[in-house]
Amino acid sequence: MANSLDPAATADDVKRINALLPVKAKILRITQETPDVKLFSISTLDEQLPFPVSPGQLVMLSVFGMGEAIFAASAGENCLEVAVKRVGILTEALHEAKAGQTMGIRGPYGNGFSLDIFQGRNLLFIAGGIGLAPVRSLIKHVLNHRKDFGHLQLIGGFRSPKDLVFKRELTEIWPVSEDFDVAITVDKAEEDWRGHVGYVPDLVKKLKPQLDETACILCGPPVMLKNTFNVLEELAFSPENIYTTLEMRMKCGIGQCGRCNIGSCYVCLDGPVFSLAQLRALPDEY
Amino acid sequence: MNQPLIIEMRTIAQKLLAARTVGTIIGWEKGSRWYLTPPAFIHNEDQVDRLYFDRFAVNNLAKYLLDYRDSDEKVAVFVKGCDSRGIIRLIQDNQVKKENIIVIGLPCAGMYDRAKVEDPENPHDLPLLNKCLECRYPNPVYADRLVGEVSVSSESGRPTGTYSGFATAQSVGSRADRRFEAVDTLNNLPSGQKALLWQTYAERCLRCYACRNICPACNCAGCIFDSDRKQWTTKAALQSANSFFLVTRAMHVAERCVECGECERVCPAGIPVMSLNRLVSKEINRLCGAYDAGIELKSSFPLSHFNLAVKVGS
Amino acid sequence: MKTLNKISLNSALEIFASYAPLYVPAGNETFSGFVRYSTGLEVRLDKNTKLGPKSLLFPRVENLYSYSNHGKDTEISPVPKEIEPTIIFGVRSCDLQAIVCLDDVFLSQTSRGGINDYNYRIRRGNAIIVALGCLEADGDCFCQSMGVDPSEHEQADLQLFDLGESFGVESHTAKGLNLSRLLENSGLLAEKKVAKPRPASFALTVDAQGITHKLQKMFDHSLWDELGAKCLNCGVCTYVCPACHCFDISVCAKDGCNGSTIRHWDSCMFSQYTEMAGGHNPRPGKKEKVRQRFLHKLRYFPERYGKFLCTGCGRCVALCPVNLDITEVIRRVKEAEIDG
Ligand code: SF4
Ligand code: SF4
Ligand code: SF4
Ligand code: FES
Repeated sequence: MANSLDPAATADDVKRINALLPVKAKILRITQETPDVKLFSISTLDEQLPFPVSPGQLVMLSVFGMGEAIFAASAGENCLEVAVKRVGILTEALHEAKAGQTMGIRGPYGNGFSLDIFQGRNLLFIAGGIGLAPVRSLIKHVLNHRKDFGHLQLIGGFRSPKDLVFKRELTEIWPVSEDFDVAITVDKAEEDWRGHVGYVPDLVKKLKPQLDETACILCGPPVMLKNTFNVLEELAFSPENIYTTLEMRMKCGIGQCGRCNIGSCYVCLDGPVFSLAQLRALPDEY
Repeated sequence: MNQPLIIEMRTIAQKLLAARTVGTIIGWEKGSRWYLTPPAFIHNEDQVDRLYFDRFAVNNLAKYLLDYRDSDEKVAVFVKGCDSRGIIRLIQDNQVKKENIIVIGLPCAGMYDRAKVEDPENPHDLPLLNKCLECRYPNPVYADRLVGEVSVSSESGRPTGTYSGFATAQSVGSRADRRFEAVDTLNNLPSGQKALLWQTYAERCLRCYACRNICPACNCAGCIFDSDRKQWTTKAALQSANSFFLVTRAMHVAERCVECGECERVCPAGIPVMSLNRLVSKEINRLCGAYDAGIELKSSFPLSHFNLAVKVGS
Repeated sequence: MKTLNKISLNSALEIFASYAPLYVPAGNETFSGFVRYSTGLEVRLDKNTKLGPKSLLFPRVENLYSYSNHGKDTEISPVPKEIEPTIIFGVRSCDLQAIVCLDDVFLSQTSRGGINDYNYRIRRGNAIIVALGCLEADGDCFCQSMGVDPSEHEQADLQLFDLGESFGVESHTAKGLNLSRLLENSGLLAEKKVAKPRPASFALTVDAQGITHKLQKMFDHSLWDELGAKCLNCGVCTYVCPACHCFDISVCAKDGCNGSTIRHWDSCMFSQYTEMAGGHNPRPGKKEKVRQRFLHKLRYFPERYGKFLCTGCGRCVALCPVNLDITEVIRRVKEAEIDG
């Protein structure tokens, strides 16, 4: 309670307690994924994992002097991996950063996927563009605990072949993993593209993924989400079995700054992972 | 006293809606207190009886036309003299299309100063707003229709229309020549004191942007003060940034402020926002010759039109 | 009850001020708020202030940490948090209830996954609140309708009652007792047999019973279009509200390398509040913003924290430039027909 606090807190205490204060971290590696997406590997200054995150959780990155922004993160060996698409001032600054640069990180935020629910079931992953980032962190977990899960299927959609993020995993690793079907579609094909062309919802309709014992995990831009929900329901997926992560503008990450709410839920605390059934009970405002 | 005028307003609104000449009428209705007559939006004929006009209908409705900036919907809007100057300003700034709006001009007997209300429950007499005492254009300077026998006039002068006598008796415009007095008083303060005063005001400013959002001259589609992305300034209400805001706002409405006084009325912090505008317009008058914004559609602007023949400040 | 003669108010304030920094209501018709007391300052107790005491606990702007970039490295230092104990004098029930709402947001909700806010926690823990009961409503007050007792608030450290010639003084906490002892030791308090005064019934009332439930069915109601049309999306209502807690975090750069990260008030009315970097905005227009404000106060906050985020102080009613009156909104919601 308010009264039980120690007014003599030192600067170190402040760091430990103040949730809005980032810890210093450094950029270990940068991989150019597509023309406008880079993957950042971020570790503590002594190259350790800054903090554990579970699939679907978020972290706040700061470029000192530029500001902060929230991203889906996935845990690597000694680092957190964050895929950043260049869309605004802050992501621009990130894209200009070099390996070795100091930055700030705080988190993890949000609920993440609740992994128990997926145990023993078949999983259908659907991802649009950079929405593959949170999905990938779940896939990595699943592949590390392969025997706990059933059949896997991924349907991924991208603007064009050069916009494929995590290309090596998408085209080389996952397709040859045990019991894992991968289908990729692009909105607009180029010369040597042999895969599907068209939007994600259409491909889902065409592939008619099997639904028994299947949980579907769907991430992407709001329009794709809404259209794909409809297709999945036409295919008789129940809203309880469809999971998604939402994106919102966020400033605090801890349910206080007020802006990431949908109804009385704060996406930063109660989300970003929601089942479609949960979403349907909330106002349509995302 | 306004009853026949209100009936006339409702009739004209009803006709415009019935003929589908417009889809929306922007006027006023009686609010939640005897001293409030806030904006009203009427879309259906059966709602026209909500329309009301009295001496608390202080809101300048011109600003709402910006909400229709990107649509082709036709709207009618009621205006007092000062409000009509805002309409001209919006047309000159290419923010509204003349053909999409129907401007209905009203006679005005001056607006009461609700800040002087003493008994919130029982109506009582009130003084006029300063801006009304200082008003030089009590008649609409621009209108497509007129009610209450008012005439359109871009000459500064006396109120016309049904209760022009009353308006004059109420001293509308009586202090027009002395409208720069308040700013002169401020300006003549010893410089240290002046700085301190504005520092206090700047400290108080909440950066709520009410002054900007109600102003018909503040009509940019995006404002640097909204954006933390471009980092022109901080969004935080720090004294230095607030001063920057107050000055920038005043400079940006230079040559465009139509003297409706809405900025000052809405300021929750009691900052004399209007005196900054007056200071600027006084300077314009001094440097470029007498100029009033939003009086004629076709006018040349002292600051934004460059005329080689004119030597500023000579 | 212990009483303090009003004639001794200044002596009492002097005693408080020498114990800890003291903030009191002051100002005039045009502008009033809580200001740091110094001898000679005229305290304004006739009615509540234009701005509440919120900024003393949740400042309009505060530094979170400063940074200084050199090359690839950055130094960050939390801004020293030596926040001294502070007495806030003359807080009305509505504003104290609003502080209870802020406590919910910034402090007590760890069980729901939330995290205590460090700065708020220190300020709140160090604040000693001297509340002053109201007996009469000002023109726009409707606290009683929102379930607030204007005459006293249990969360006060020290509660004052207006007894005409004197103040009744009752301490609720150890901190309050401390203050009351200070007065007692200086011989300023007398013991009198008086009953606690009860407030007159308020002219402005609104029936907010069941409003949260009703609003659960009104997200798509046309009322929001109508209200949205006249709103200016200025920040007046949210910035004068003692309970609104939304904030933004941004950078305040000193130069190319140095600066600080600050936290400052923000408003759900502003255009960029929910706008995402890519341009998508879940609440793009006036309608969505107005709806969010009223739903947050009357539905979402009660759903999450079990109380209204409006305490009936009437400030937004008094200051909204277009008379978007929350009591009217509540009335309209209650009257609204909903299909289905
Ligand atoms: S209305 Fe007043 S407080 Fe609000 S931004 Fe303008 S000057 Fe500042
Ligand atoms: S409700 Fe009133 S005070 Fe609030 S944003 Fe709208 S116009 Fe401004
Ligand atoms: S919503 Fe209005 S009346 Fe309610 S607490 Fe906030 S400012 Fe006061
Ligand atoms: S990011 Fe601040 S409330 Fe969710």
